[in-house]
Amino acid sequence: MARMKFLCDADRCIECNACVTACKNEHEVPWGINRRRVVTLNDGKPGERSVSMACMHCTDAPCAAVCPVNCFYTTADAVVLHSKDICIGCGYCFYACPFGAPQYPRVGNFGSRGKMDKCTYCSGGPEPDLSVAEYEKYGSNRLAEGKLPLCAEMCSTKALLAGDGEMIAEIYKQRVIKRGYGSGAWGWKTAYRETVAI
Amino acid sequence: MGQDQKDQLGRRQFFRALGGGTVAAAAGMASPISVTEAQAYDPGTDETRSRYRLTDEVKAFYRTNGYETLQNSTNAGKK
Repeated sequence: MARMKFLCDADRCIECNACVTACKNEHEVPWGINRRRVVTLNDGKPGERSVSMACMHCTDAPCAAVCPVNCFYTTADAVVLHSKDICIGCGYCFYACPFGAPQYPRVGNFGSRGKMDKCTYCSGGPEPDLSVAEYEKYGSNRLAEGKLPLCAEMCSTKALLAGDGEMIAEIYKQRVIKRGYGSGAWGWKTAYRETVAI
Repeated sequence: MGQDQKDQLGRRQFFRALGGGTVAAAAGMASPISVTEAQAYDPGTDETRSRYRLTDEVKAFYRTNGYETLQNSTNAGKK
C-alpha cells in the first residue's frame, strides 16, 4: 500500500510561494489561513534555504494524540484527516503539531477559534467524495480524481515532491547522488569520505 | 474560637459530607460494564479507503520530477 508523503528539496526551493497560492486557490481557503507556507532560514545571507511546509501527515500524529474529541483519522493512504463536524476548536492540536499545520479561522466572538483547518493532502474529508459539502469544508479532493496535491504539481522548480513515499524518496535519492554534496547526501562514504569502513 | 469560625467549620464539614456522599452514590451506581473507553473517530471503511492511483497524471508527475536522474530507471513510472 502506497503511503503518501511530502518532501521539499531545499536545494531547489526558491521561495516563490506558488505552492501557497495554488493551495489557497484550489481549496478556496479563507483569509487568515495558510495550509502551506514557505519558511526561509538565513534569509538574505549565504546559505539561505527555503522549505515549503504543511501538514506532514505523521505516522503517529501528535495532533490526533492530544485531540480531546478524537476528530482525527488516518486513511489507507496514510493521510491524516479530521472531521470539522466533531472538532471543537480547542487548539490543542496547534500546540502539539511540530510543524504548525493546524490553522483556525477565528470567525467567532470572544476569541473563539472556530473549526480547525489544515492540509488534507488534497484528499477532502469524511464527506462523500467530490461532494459539495466536502468541498465547502475541506476543499477539493484531487486524490479521488487520480491526481496529486496541487502544491507539488504547481512547483516550477520541482522542489516540492508529493506522492508515493517510496517513489519520491527514490527521486530525491537520485538527485542527491547526482549532486554528491550537502548534509543530505546519501551514504556514509559521502559524509565521511572514502576512509570510513562500512 | 469565634462564632464565625465555628460556622465556617460547620459549612466545610457539611460540604465534605456532601461530597463524600455523592462519590459513594456515584460509585454505587457505576458498574464496570458502563465504563467505555474513548474511541477515535471512525468515518467508516469507505471514507478511509485508499484513493491513490497510479494514473497517467501521477506517472507524468514522477517522470517530470525525476527526469534528470530517473531516465534510465525502470521504476520511474514511465508511460
